[in-house]
Amino acid sequence: MPNEERIYNESMTGDDDETALEIAALQSESLLPPPKKEYIYHKEALTALLEEISQKKLKWIHRCDITSTEPVVVDKTEDDLDRELKFYQQGLEAAIQGKQAVIKAGVPFSRPDDYFAEMVKTDTHMAKIREKLLAQQQGIQNAEEAKKQRELRKYGKKIQQEKLKEREDKKKASLDKIATIKKRLRSGDLGDADDFEIDVDSDDDANFSTRSGATKRGGKLAPNKKRQNKNDRYGFGGKKRGLKRNTADSAGDITGFSVKRNKSGNFSGGSKKGKAKRPGKAKRQRGL
Amino acid sequence: MATLYKTATSEFMDVDDIREENDRQHKIKNRVLLVASRGVTFRHRHLMNDLEALLPHTKKEAKVEAKQDMDLLNELAEIQGCNNVFYFEARKHQDLFLWISRAPSGPSVKFHVQNIHTMDELKMTGNCLKGSRPLLSFDANFDSEPHLQLLKEMFTQTFGVPKGARKSKPFFDHVFTFSIVDGRVWFRNFQIVEKDPETGGSMKKNDKPTLVEIGPRFVLCPIRIFEGSFGGPTLYENPRYISPNSVRAAIKAQKSTKYANRVADTQDREIRAEANPMPADPFKDVFE
Repeated sequence: MPNEERIYNESMTGDDDETALEIAALQSESLLPPPKKEYIYHKEALTALLEEISQKKLKWIHRCDITSTEPVVVDKTEDDLDRELKFYQQGLEAAIQGKQAVIKAGVPFSRPDDYFAEMVKTDTHMAKIREKLLAQQQGIQNAEEAKKQRELRKYGKKIQQEKLKEREDKKKASLDKIATIKKRLRSGDLGDADDFEIDVDSDDDANFSTRSGATKRGGKLAPNKKRQNKNDRYGFGGKKRGLKRNTADSAGDITGFSVKRNKSGNFSGGSKKGKAKRPGKAKRQRGL
Repeated sequence: MATLYKTATSEFMDVDDIREENDRQHKIKNRVLLVASRGVTFRHRHLMNDLEALLPHTKKEAKVEAKQDMDLLNELAEIQGCNNVFYFEARKHQDLFLWISRAPSGPSVKFHVQNIHTMDELKMTGNCLKGSRPLLSFDANFDSEPHLQLLKEMFTQTFGVPKGARKSKPFFDHVFTFSIVDGRVWFRNFQIVEKDPETGGSMKKNDKPTLVEIGPRFVLCPIRIFEGSFGGPTLYENPRYISPNSVRAAIKAQKSTKYANRVADTQDREIRAEANPMPADPFKDVFE
């Protein structure tokens, strides 16, 4: 029964802190006022009074009371789930018994489907409840999805590492091969070996570097890295105005935002280990 | 028609009897007056509104200040034509006490209301017709002691909606459960769902209904039972009741001892240090 489960999954823990404090306080008995010696309990008077006010002579349909067959016994009152389940069982028993009794008395029990009337909770309120339930379910789904993604990422990382290792191994193997060939050639024919060596070396690094560090691209000398960055920053060509200003997009951009980092409190970042701290004075002197 | 009726009455002697019984039953008018004291918080007020919505035989009154003169409430009940009074008394803008009294002759019970959850909370997903009659489900524990029996009778008369009450609807779609756990009365309100929870279609004949909680929830801790209405000799006193004031005081005392303990510890340490001075080191100056 999904309804039943739903009810008992929601334990209401609103007053938890308060109750914890109260329980702690109650356990330290000495702090409470000393218990009174005698408490009033006039059983006979109560029974007589009950007789006096009783409306038990009325027909059941006017009273609609049902007493459970089993008394409710809860081991631990704090155990929400167990307690609420007991209440539920008590209510269910009453509902089943009550229906029989009501029908026996000749009074309709269930509301016909075409009987519409004002409800205790308004439609807007019920819509809110539904919304909340949906949001809850959505949240659970999202969490599961995220979990799956995390697992996948973990697995993906493993694959990536394996691939990198494989590539390195391959490189190593080929270098070894070249080395052996070189060795063989050196021992065989020296004249030929020189040419071959240059070839091999030039194969190794893909792009030619000039002394200044500028990289040749398409026959034109590109500026070095520092210059490139400076150009990007201060402008080299293009519009100069408003580049550093926020636009609607940039203001709304939160890709650089990290909740973890924001909550960490320091601005050095989310990394757990920052710069090594200077040891305390005593420690330093001991070190000397 | 009149002649027809005359012949009918002469032919069937028990028609009169039926009418008489009907009349007698119509005279049972349990009406409940709902009154709050000054200083109720929003939660207390919402609880009152919930009860008003659920019990069509109630009449809500403006807030009263009845600290000194509780007899005022009896008068109010008489004016409003009510034979039961729910008086919600707030203390210190936080503690809620509920008086349930049969006006004007008693008895009356004073409860401490704890763990209030109103119907406004979105966790409780049930709903029912406004003014439909509830089934009253009592825990079998209620029959174990005279004071609990009295409580049961009073709850039946106040929470039970009389048959044919004004604004009431003729169907049963919810059940109030009263259970006793920890010597306190726990109140729950469940909707009786007579539909297949999976398909939403109508139920088979022998299927059990399911319950969905509507709210509100609260716990009533009985404090005292009086013979009169809002007064008179005490018939029962709850030995397990601890007033919220003393609970708060205990918490406060516990907190206050923290500082006192620390001060005492410091003083102790000083005394100990004085009593046991460090012995002089004979090798202190060996290397100088």
